[in-house]
Amino acid sequence: MAGWPVLNTFRLTLVIAAKDVRAELRSRTALLSALVFAALVLVIFNFARDPTLVAATTLAPSVLWVTFALAAMVAMNRAFTVERENSALDGLLLAPVPREALFLGKLLANLAFVGAVELATLPLFTLFFNVSLWPALPGILGVTLLATIGFVAVGTIFSAMAVRTRFAELMLPVLLLPFMVPPLIGAVQVTSRLLAERPLSEMWGWLRLLALYDVVFVTLCALAFTAVVDE
Amino acid sequence: MTGIAASSDIAGRTVRRGLRLSALGFVGLAAVYVLALRYTPIEARQGLAQKIFYLHVPAAWSALLAFSLVGLASVLYLWLKDIRLDRFAAASAEVGVAFSAIMLTTGPIWAKPIWGTWWTWDARLTLTLFLFFLFIGYLALRAAVQDPAERARFSAVVGILGMLLVPFIHLSVYLFRTLHPQPIVLKPSAPSLPPEMLRTLLVSTIVFTVLYVGFVTTRYGLALVADLREAEELPDGH
Amino acid sequence: MVTEPPSNGEYLIAAYVVTTVLLVGYWVRLWRMAKKR
Repeated sequence: MAGWPVLNTFRLTLVIAAKDVRAELRSRTALLSALVFAALVLVIFNFARDPTLVAATTLAPSVLWVTFALAAMVAMNRAFTVERENSALDGLLLAPVPREALFLGKLLANLAFVGAVELATLPLFTLFFNVSLWPALPGILGVTLLATIGFVAVGTIFSAMAVRTRFAELMLPVLLLPFMVPPLIGAVQVTSRLLAERPLSEMWGWLRLLALYDVVFVTLCALAFTAVVDE
Repeated sequence: MTGIAASSDIAGRTVRRGLRLSALGFVGLAAVYVLALRYTPIEARQGLAQKIFYLHVPAAWSALLAFSLVGLASVLYLWLKDIRLDRFAAASAEVGVAFSAIMLTTGPIWAKPIWGTWWTWDARLTLTLFLFFLFIGYLALRAAVQDPAERARFSAVVGILGMLLVPFIHLSVYLFRTLHPQPIVLKPSAPSLPPEMLRTLLVSTIVFTVLYVGFVTTRYGLALVADLREAEELPDGH
Repeated sequence: MVTEPPSNGEYLIAAYVVTTVLLVGYWVRLWRMAKKR
């Protein structure tokens, strides 16, 4: 039946993702370091701005997304480094697992980590900056998911490469920076419009950009993953 | 001539040819300088600074050419697995950095007297900046990977992803500008160029292309020498 | 009314000098690499 190979790949993806998430929950290093980092960034931003000059709502989208972007890089880097230390990937590669499923599984796991960090950062943000995200929350969650998928997809394949290089911690940000720009610009634009309660028509162009970016890069990175992990 | 350039094998010949071609390009460049500085008229609104145009635009063309060829060579490498494509991509990326650097310096130097500011987030400058970052990332990755085959594969992936990023950066800047009305700004190029300007621009573009080809040929030859040396040093001749 | 074009020749010189330095500098780098054994 035509559906079976797709179903198998899908199941494999979930299994791989679950394995990674479980491994991370056991060690918790990536999650914790990213959370601490996010909190630190928020504190610095808070002290850096003059509350009489700049309203919190004006600054909010930028602060939020810089925090998300930096924390995401910390999380992705740690996740792959931990795995390399455990040589878990090598075992998986010996099995006849389609590389696309391997990539998608890692992508889902990374999304889970980064998503968890982002979800934990939101209340911290509300606390430090006194900006209520509640009315715009569904929209903010939606755009966060869209943008995160974009840069985590590219981040997953780049961290697979970076981990095999000499300066792994430096290599990921250097490679990833240009690729974070379209998702970040889109995310900041949509978030600021959501907080200002603008109509959907003003965000539509950006949302389409984000969606297109996700489709193109998730597909491309999934297909290119074999070039990174196979000889 | 001593060293690599003196050897009679194909690598040495390639290097010599590249160096000679680029030297020829420099002769052409001198001619362009004369044309730009003396032959072309002085633009009324922008004054002398407008003549930076004759260097900035061809440099942009060369940088974009370098970048596109890196992308193309990357796709072809993953398909055909010919190491020569990877060697070419590396050479083109390095030369691309040089031309992007020219764009990123002449751009602000031109912008300051004309627009009053060193930098604007307009489509051209922004795209150039990201092209530059992509090139740097590409070269940094190459420097950090030891195994030649792995280096070629990784570079190819970055090259392809980078090539696909460019339209998205362009789209982002376009969306940003259409939804954010910008103050009306003098457009650097006149709607229709007088013939002296057009001719000089054309000559300059040809000269910059010759420089690109000369540089890439030389760089390719030098990479070939390095690869051959490395192959000799390994006992099993990998 | 005829207005004088703005006087900004120093920018012109700066741009042409920088370009020359970058291009010739890169060529010299390649040349030095070629001269080594």
